[in-house]
Amino acid sequence: MNELNRRNFIKRSAAFAASVIVAPSLIPASALGKNGSVAPSDRINLVMIGSGNQGLNDMGEFLKDSRVQITGICDVNKMSGGYWSGNMGGREVGIKKVNDYYSELYQKNYTGCKGYEDFREVIARKDVDAVEVVLPDHWHSIPVLMAAKAGKNIYCQKPLALTIPEGIAMANAVKKYGVTFQTGSQQRSDENFRRVCELVRNGRIGKLLTVECGLPAGTPDYGKTGNLTNTMPVPAGFDYQTWLGPAPDAPYCPARTHVNFRWVLDYSGGQLTDWGGHHPDIAQWGMDTEHTGPVKIQNAKVEWAVHPIWNSAAHYYFECVYANGVKLIISDKLQSGVTFRGTEGWARGNRGSHTVFPESLRETVIKPSEIHLYKSDNHFRNFIDCVISKKETIAPVEIAHRSITMSHLGNIAMKLQQDLNWDPKKEQFIHNDLANSMLKRKMREPWASIYKQLLVS
Amino acid sequence: MKKYSFLAIACVIMLALFSACKSGADHRALIITGQNNHNWKVTTPIFKVLLEQTGIFSVDVAVSPDKGGDMNKFTPKFSNYEVIVLNYSGDSWSEKTKSEFIEFVKNGGGVVVVHAADNSFPDWPAYSEMIGLGWGRTEKDGPFVYFKGDKMVIDTTAGPSGGHGERQEFTVRTRNTQHPITKGLPPRWMHGKDELYSKLRGPAKNMEILATAFAPPGKGGTGRDEPILIVTNYGKGRIFHTVLGHGDVDGGPAIQCAGFIVTLQRGTEWAATGQVTQKVPYDFPTAAGTSLRVNYQEMTLEDDLIKIGGYDITKSTKYFVDLQSRIRAEGTTPEKRQQFEHFMIELLENKAATDEGKKLILRELSWMGSDLSIPVITKLLQNPALKDDAKFALARLQPTK
Amino acid sequence: MTDKSTRRDFLKKSTAISAGAFLLPQIIPSTALGMGGKLPPSDRIIMGAIGVGSQGTGNMGTFLEHIKEVQFVAVCDVDSNHSKNAKGLVDAANKNSDCRTYSDYREFLEKEKLDAVCIALPDHWHGLIYSAAANKKLDIYGEKPLARTIYDGRAIVSAVKRNNIVWQTGSWQRSTPNFHRAVELVLNGRIGKVTRIEVGLPDGNKGVGTPPIKEVPANLDWEMWLGPAPKVPFRGVVHWQWRWILDYSGGQLTDWAGHHIDIAQWGIGMERSGPVEFSGEGVYPREGLFNVPVEYNINCKYANGIEMRVANSSQLPTKNGGATWYGEKGWINVDRGRLIASDPKILEEVIGENEIHPYKSINHVGNFLECVKSRGETVAPVEIAHRSISVGLLGEIAMTTGQKFQWDPVKEEIIGNPVASRLLVRPYREPWELPKI
Repeated sequence: MNELNRRNFIKRSAAFAASVIVAPSLIPASALGKNGSVAPSDRINLVMIGSGNQGLNDMGEFLKDSRVQITGICDVNKMSGGYWSGNMGGREVGIKKVNDYYSELYQKNYTGCKGYEDFREVIARKDVDAVEVVLPDHWHSIPVLMAAKAGKNIYCQKPLALTIPEGIAMANAVKKYGVTFQTGSQQRSDENFRRVCELVRNGRIGKLLTVECGLPAGTPDYGKTGNLTNTMPVPAGFDYQTWLGPAPDAPYCPARTHVNFRWVLDYSGGQLTDWGGHHPDIAQWGMDTEHTGPVKIQNAKVEWAVHPIWNSAAHYYFECVYANGVKLIISDKLQSGVTFRGTEGWARGNRGSHTVFPESLRETVIKPSEIHLYKSDNHFRNFIDCVISKKETIAPVEIAHRSITMSHLGNIAMKLQQDLNWDPKKEQFIHNDLANSMLKRKMREPWASIYKQLLVS
Repeated sequence: MKKYSFLAIACVIMLALFSACKSGADHRALIITGQNNHNWKVTTPIFKVLLEQTGIFSVDVAVSPDKGGDMNKFTPKFSNYEVIVLNYSGDSWSEKTKSEFIEFVKNGGGVVVVHAADNSFPDWPAYSEMIGLGWGRTEKDGPFVYFKGDKMVIDTTAGPSGGHGERQEFTVRTRNTQHPITKGLPPRWMHGKDELYSKLRGPAKNMEILATAFAPPGKGGTGRDEPILIVTNYGKGRIFHTVLGHGDVDGGPAIQCAGFIVTLQRGTEWAATGQVTQKVPYDFPTAAGTSLRVNYQEMTLEDDLIKIGGYDITKSTKYFVDLQSRIRAEGTTPEKRQQFEHFMIELLENKAATDEGKKLILRELSWMGSDLSIPVITKLLQNPALKDDAKFALARLQPTK
Repeated sequence: MTDKSTRRDFLKKSTAISAGAFLLPQIIPSTALGMGGKLPPSDRIIMGAIGVGSQGTGNMGTFLEHIKEVQFVAVCDVDSNHSKNAKGLVDAANKNSDCRTYSDYREFLEKEKLDAVCIALPDHWHGLIYSAAANKKLDIYGEKPLARTIYDGRAIVSAVKRNNIVWQTGSWQRSTPNFHRAVELVLNGRIGKVTRIEVGLPDGNKGVGTPPIKEVPANLDWEMWLGPAPKVPFRGVVHWQWRWILDYSGGQLTDWAGHHIDIAQWGIGMERSGPVEFSGEGVYPREGLFNVPVEYNINCKYANGIEMRVANSSQLPTKNGGATWYGEKGWINVDRGRLIASDPKILEEVIGENEIHPYKSINHVGNFLECVKSRGETVAPVEIAHRSISVGLLGEIAMTTGQKFQWDPVKEEIIGNPVASRLLVRPYREPWELPKI
C-alpha cells in the first residue's frame, strides 16, 4: 500500500467510525490483518519526537492502540540517566521499547523502529502520519509549526507552549493547515473531571463563585541530578546545543537537562506551568471560558526556588478574575485538584476521584436537554479517533493555549509583584508595556529566523 | 475487600417504618453572605443544605458585593423571609438596608448569627442589641458576660471585646435544658475542633445564655465559662446567636459537629417560629466525645447497620451505640423491637458481614430479641468464631434450656 | 489445737462470750494467749488470698497488720508476678519462705486448709469464686461490688448463708466515723423525714482507645483471667483496666455503688431491701474497646416514697460526690473526708441512749476478724452488699433497655418486663457454669 492508499484507508475508516462498535463486520476484510487486527501497512504511522520519561510513557499508550504503528523515535540524547527517578531515557531506550513490544506482538524479531536525532528529518518524511511532540516546553512551538505545515497530525504534550505568543502561533498554524491536534491534558479524558464540569455547567452548585486549583509545590529532584550543578563536559551521544535550541546558551550541567529542565525558567515555568496545563485547563472547561480568559491577575505571592540552576516558583499564589466576577485561584497552598465553589454546593475533581457537596450531587442525573460535555475516556485513543474522523479532539490547541495562559500570566504577575489587567481578546496587558514586554522570549538563532518564517496568521 | 450491602427489601421496609414524615418546606430562610473573614464560599452551601435537611425550610442565598463594593446595590428583601441567617462579617450595609432589617426584626422576623457574624457592624447599636454580645465592642456597648460556676457574671471592666485561644475540641455545657432550642440536649457534650470565642461583650439586653464552654488558660483561654449559644429578643423578633462554626477548607470538624448542626437547625427554627419541632438525633455528641458528620447528614438506621456489618475492633463503635440508642428510644414495645430484630437477623445471615459486627448484634439481641432470632442464632453455633456469643444469646433468650 | 476442727472449737468457745468480747477483751482466757500476749501460731486465723493485684495485696497488707491474729499461708493469682510479690509480703511477715502460691483457685481451695480467705478479683469472677470459697466453709473478706449481676449476687448470698460463714464486704466506708455519723444523724431524724437522696459517683470511663493485640506474657494465664467472660484476644487489658469493659464491670457506677449507695441505703434503713422502681439514661463511648458508660443517671423510688438519684456527680446540680439525704428539715452530705449539712448545728446533735445506734466499727478488717472469732454479723454483711450493688445493677439494666420498670425487692424480680429480666443474669462461657442458688 502506498501513501495515497493509506490515506484512503483512514478516510474510509472515518466513514465507518460511528458504526464500528455496533457492526464491526462492516470493516472491509482487506483492512484487517490475519488475526483481525489492523494490518501494519494500514496503520497510522507515528513518530515520537522526544523519548524522555513522558515520551516513554506515552509511547506505551500508543503501542496499545492497534491502529497505530510507531515507526520512529527522535531524540537528541542517545541514552543516559537523569530522567524520572534518575532512570534511563533517550532515543535508544525508546527504540528498544518499541521493537520489544512489536517483537512480542508479532512473535518475531522486529527491528523496524527507526532512530532520528533531528526532528526536521522526521517531519520531512512523507510516510509519517502523526507525531507526538514530547519535548521540554521551549521546544514545543517550532516542531509543532513545522509538523502542521507538513500536514502531520500532532499530539503535543502540555503545557502547550513556553509563552503566550508561541501558543497563539501554534493555534494559528494548526487551524490554517487543518491537521488534527491533541494536547496532552489528559485529565479531560478522566470521567471525574468531566462529571464535575458538567455539574458546574448545569448549575448544580448554584451560582459559581470561585474556582480553586491546588497544584504541587517545590522543585522535586525527579532526575536525581539536583546536586550536579557544576559545569562539566557534555556526555557523548547528547546533542546539548540542539537540546538548548532557541533557549539562551548556558554551560552544561546535568541539573539543567532532561526531567529537571522543568525548574529552569528558560525552558519551562516550573510546577505552575507543568500543572497549569491540567487543573486550570479543567477550571476553564467547567467555567465555560475555554476560548477566553481572565480580565485581571491579582494578589500574586511567590517564593522562588533557591538553587544554583533552578529558579522557578516553589510556592505561588495568584487570583484570576473573570469578566463575570468569578475568581480562579491558582496556588500550591490549596487542596489538590480543581474545586468549583458555588452558592449551593461545591464539586472537586481530582485524578481518579471527585468529591461533591452536597452528597446528593453524586446521584444527580444530567438530563438529555442539559449541557453534556465532550466525552473521551482515553486521551490517546481520542487523538487517533480524531485523526481518522477529522473531528475535533477533546483537547484542541486553541483551548490548550487559553488554559496555559493563566499560568504564564501568573508567572509574570509574580515577577512584577503587581496586579495586572488583561485583555483576553487582544491577549495583551492593558496599559502595561513592561508586562507586555515579558510575554514573549527572545529566541537564539538560527531558530529565531526559522520560527519567524513559520508564523502564519 | 467485600462491601457489606443490604437487601433492597430491607431498605424499603425500613424507610416505611422509620423515616419521619417531613411536613414540607413551609418556612423561608435567607442566608446573607458575600463578605466574611472566614471562608464563606465554603460554609454557605453547607449551611444552606443543613437548613434544607430539616425539611421545614426553603433557603435562598444573598451574596453581597465584595469588600469595598457599592453596598447601595445590596438590598435583600427581608420581608420575603421568616428568618435571616447571617454568615456575614464585612462592610456596613446602606442606611436603607439597615432600617429595613430593623423593621423586619421588630415586626417579629427571626435572625440567626453564626460565628464571625458577631464581629459585624460594631457601630450599629441596633445590631449589637440583637446579637447580645459580640466582637469589636467596648464598654460603651455593654459589659463582658460569662459564667463562673453556675452564676452568670456581668463584668463592666473596660476594654475591647472578642478573642479566642488555640483551636480545640471543647465540652459545651447546656445551661438551660428547657428552652425550645436546647430541650433534650445532653448536659455536657463535646464539640468538634473549633475556635472558642471569648471576652464577648455587648448590650446583653433581653438575652439568655443557653450554653457555655470553659476556655482553658492552658490553651490561650480566659479561664472562664464563655457563652456559646445565646438567644435574645428585639422588638417582636427572636435572635439565635451561635459562636460555633469556624469553617475550614471544606468545612472541618467545627461545622461537621452534629452539635453545631443540630443547634443551628433548631435555633433557626426557633428564630423563625418561636418553637422547635425537630427531634434531637441519636448522633448528638455526648460527654463521651464528639460526633462528626462527614457528609453533614445524620446516619440512618440502614447506614448504622451497614457500618456494623463492616465492623472490626479497629473501627468506631459509634454506629452500634447509635443502634442501641435507637432501640432504647424506639423499641418500647415487643412489636417495635421486632422491627429492629428483623434487620439484625438479616445482618446475622449476611455472609459479607464481619464476625465482630455479628458479635455486637448477638449481644444486643440477647436481651431485646424474640423467638424470631432463635433459629438463626442456633445456626451460628456452627460457626467457631461466633459459637460462644451465640450461646450467650441463646442462654438469655431460652433460659429454660 | 493441731487440726482444723479443734481450731474451730476454739473459735466457737469464743462465740459464747462474743457479746462481751468487744467491750471486755480481758475476759479472753489467758490460757488461750501465747507468750507476750500473742496467740500461738496454731491458734491464729489461718488465711489465704485469692487475687493479689493492687487491691488484693492492699487488703492483705491490712490483714498483716493484725499479725497477732492471722497467719497467711498461701496466695492465688492467675498472674504469677502477682503471686510472687504477695508471697514475698507474706514470707516477710512470717519470717520464713513457706507461703504457697497457686494460679488456679480450685486447686488452692482443694489443697489449703484455711479458716478464712480474702478475695479481690474482677467482678466477673465474683459469683464463682465467692460461692466456691463459701462452699468450702471459709470465712470471707470479699471486695465490693459483690457481683457483676443480680443472679451472681443472690448465688453468693445463698452460699454464704447456707454455709453459715462470716462475710465482710470491702465497703470500708462503713467503718469510718464520718459515714457512720451521717447515717446515725439521718436515721434518727435530724434532718426530718427523708424525701429524696442524691448519690454522686465519679465521672466517666477511664479506658482509652483500642490497645493492639499482644502476646500473652508468660506470667499470665489469660484463659483463666477471662474465665466465664467471653473469649477475646489479649490486648494488655488486665488488672485495673478491666473496670472499663462491660464484660467484667459496670464501670464507675458499679465500682462505687458498693460504697456510696451502700451508705445511702444504710441512712434510710433500706440496706436489706431496695427501691421498687427504676429508670435511667447512660451515655456510652463511641470509639474504642472500653464501653462502660461515660455518664450515667439513674432514678429510683422506694416503696415509702423516697426518691433516689444516682449519677456521676458532675450531672448533679450540687456536683457533690457521696450521699446526700434531703429531709423535711435540712440535708446532710457525706463523702470521703467530708461531712456537711444544711445547718452545721445538725452535725453537733447528740444521739440519745434510746435512739437508733447503727452498728459501730472503727476498723473494717478488725471487725471481720472479731466476727470470725465471735461468729457474729459484720458491719458489711453479704445481704447488705448484695442490696447495695443491686441498685447499681438494676440502674444499669434501666440504662441498657431505656425502659422504666418495677422491681420487687422481696422476690427480687423485675415485674412484668421479661426483656429487662434477661439482664439479671450474664451467661457464662463454657466450661464454667453459673453458681447454684
